Order: sequence, then C-alpha cells, then structure tokens
Amino acid sequence: MLPFLKIMLRNLLLGPSTDPFPFAPAKTHKNFRGCAEHDPEKCILCGICRHVCAAGAIQIHPSEDGSGMQYLLWHNSCVFCGMCAHYCPTGALTMSDNWHLAHSGAEMFSNCISDFIPFGACAQCGAKIQPRPQTIIDTLGARSPDRFLLCPQCKRQGIVQNVAQARPTRRQENP
Amino acid sequence: MLQLLCKLASRSPWIYRINAGSCNGCDVEMATTALIPRYDVERLGCKYCGSPRHADVVLISGPLTLRVRDKVLRVYNEIPHPKVTVAVGVCPVSGGCFRDGYSVGADIDHYIPLDVIVPGCPPRPQAIMEGILKAVEVWRARLEESVCCHS
Ligand code: SF4
Ligand code: SF4
Ligand code: SF4
Repeated sequence: MLPFLKIMLRNLLLGPSTDPFPFAPAKTHKNFRGCAEHDPEKCILCGICRHVCAAGAIQIHPSEDGSGMQYLLWHNSCVFCGMCAHYCPTGALTMSDNWHLAHSGAEMFSNCISDFIPFGACAQCGAKIQPRPQTIIDTLGARSPDRFLLCPQCKRQGIVQNVAQARPTRRQENP
Repeated sequence: MLQLLCKLASRSPWIYRINAGSCNGCDVEMATTALIPRYDVERLGCKYCGSPRHADVVLISGPLTLRVRDKVLRVYNEIPHPKVTVAVGVCPVSGGCFRDGYSVGADIDHYIPLDVIVPGCPPRPQAIMEGILKAVEVWRARLEESVCCHS
C-alpha cells in the first residue's frame, strides 16, 4: 500500500510526461540532424558531397546554357547521415534542426533543394573554372592567392614561364 | 446524418501499419508514437488496429522488397475505401540507402498512391504525428466526398 502511494505522489508532483506536441512546439535537441541546407554562395562544385552521399540524394548537372551547374538535393532520398556536411570543404552544406518535413504526395519531387551555381572565371584568360567564393580563397587559397584564381591552363603556363626563366641562368653557370 | 457521422468518424482514425521490407527503424518509431506516453498518438483519437479491414489510415515503411511485394499489395487491397496512405521514412518514396539494391523492387508509388510523405530515416515520432494529422485531413475530405457521391 505504502509504496504505491509514494509512486502516486511522485507522479503527481512530476506532472504529465506527455509532450504537448502538436498543440505546442516540440523540443528539439541542438545536435538533432534535420534536413540539409545548402548555401549556393559558398559552394565550389567540388562534388565531394555527391561522392560521399550513401543514399544518392545529391545530383550536380550542367545547366542548359552551360554557364553553371544545377545542384539538386532530394530530401525524400536523404537519410540525414550528415556526411555531406562533414566533408563539405567550404561549409556550404549544413544540417539544420528542421524536421517539419511531412508533405503531400503531390509534392514528392518538389521537396528538394535546387540551386543554380554559376561558374567562376579565370583571372587571366577568363575561361570557366569552378566558383571561387571568398570562403575558399581565405582557406585553401591562402597558400598562393594569385595562382588560386587561375584556370589549369594558365597555371601550367605560369609554371613553364617560371622554369624557362630559371633554366638559362643555370646553363650559364655550368656550360 | 451521414455528414455528422463522417465528422465524428474523422476524429478517430484507425491506423494500420504495413512493413514493406523496412529495416525496422521506422517501425520502432511508429510503435513509439503509440506506446510511449511521451508521444501518445492515441490522445489524438488514433488507434492502431490489427486487421487491415478495420483500417482508415495506412502507414507504410520500407522499400517494397521483391519478397513482400505481392503480400503487401494483397493486404493493401483489403483495406476498405476511402483509405489514406502515409509513407513513413524515405524508403517507400525513393528507396533511400537501399535504392537499386538487388532485392528492392521499385518505388512504392508505382503500385500504391502515396498521399502523405514523412521523410526521415527514421522520422522522429513528432514528425510521424504531424504526418498522421495531415493524413486525417485528407481522409476527412475523402469521407465527405464519398458521402456526397453516395447520398
Ligand atoms: S545527409 Fe547523408 S544522405 Fe543526406 S544528402 Fe547528406 S550525405 Fe546524402
Ligand atoms: S556543397 Fe560543399 S561538398 Fe558539395 S559541391 Fe558544394 S562545396 Fe563541394
Ligand atoms: S527510412 Fe531508414 S529507418 Fe526507415 S525503413 Fe528505410 S532505412 Fe529503415
């Protein structure tokens, strides 16, 4: 008799254990991985996210006019593993804590991220290269900022010119 | 009279779950919504039932493997009209991480029309509840529609 009263009293003091959702907002842990978010301003089209995605949720297609790439992430295929956000070098992909994803069957294919990302331009010849947003210039490009903005062709030419300048002096030293 | 009946009926939908080859993650979450007092879907009038013939709202999880495909379709056809289908998890919609597997037949929506989709792997119980509430709305609309047609 007595233990039962003790439990009853404790439960009365603790109050209801039921979450008030859907009549009040539910609590979400701060580390909860909800749907992915993509920031087209930071994306450099490296394709690492597509490579690591176990569920094949990410596709990157050339756009029709050839001026950039279309980035697609289908939430109805994503398994919220967070690998893409972990490996993204610029922090363009993040996992939000948004889990309000229930939608009607008609929106099956429109429930996705679809971003257009234009190509960057080589600082020397203007050829199309991957985008070079400031975030990646500050991190990866910090080693050689001037070469980082060139296309592969211009980079190679720069190396050849440097070597050509260095060679004659060496020949003069050892004839 | 019928109008009143379907208003009342839509306050207590009976839920039936079909496991179409799921990894059990989604099934555990569906059981959680009903059994754990914290989520307690029954306070919304919903009740899990054991027979497809009593069901109003069907929760489907899993990518529809070849092995269960015919059985799932048989059970699905036993559910009386108007039924509302809720896809729980990403598996029924796209196959999720099992897509293109040797044992995965095709997307469920080639066989069964999906009315509400709750993406997640697995979706959290509150998200499933949100999906069920959406499904109940669809169901109410269908009930009223069918009553109008028959009367
Ligand atoms: S969270 Fe995982 S499944 Fe979703 S897009 Fe990123 S890598 Fe793919
Ligand atoms: S989102 Fe990140 S990982 Fe994916 S292509 Fe863009 S920069 Fe690369
Ligand atoms: S959506 Fe994820 S948790 Fe649900 S059945 Fe598929 S793999 Fe399992």
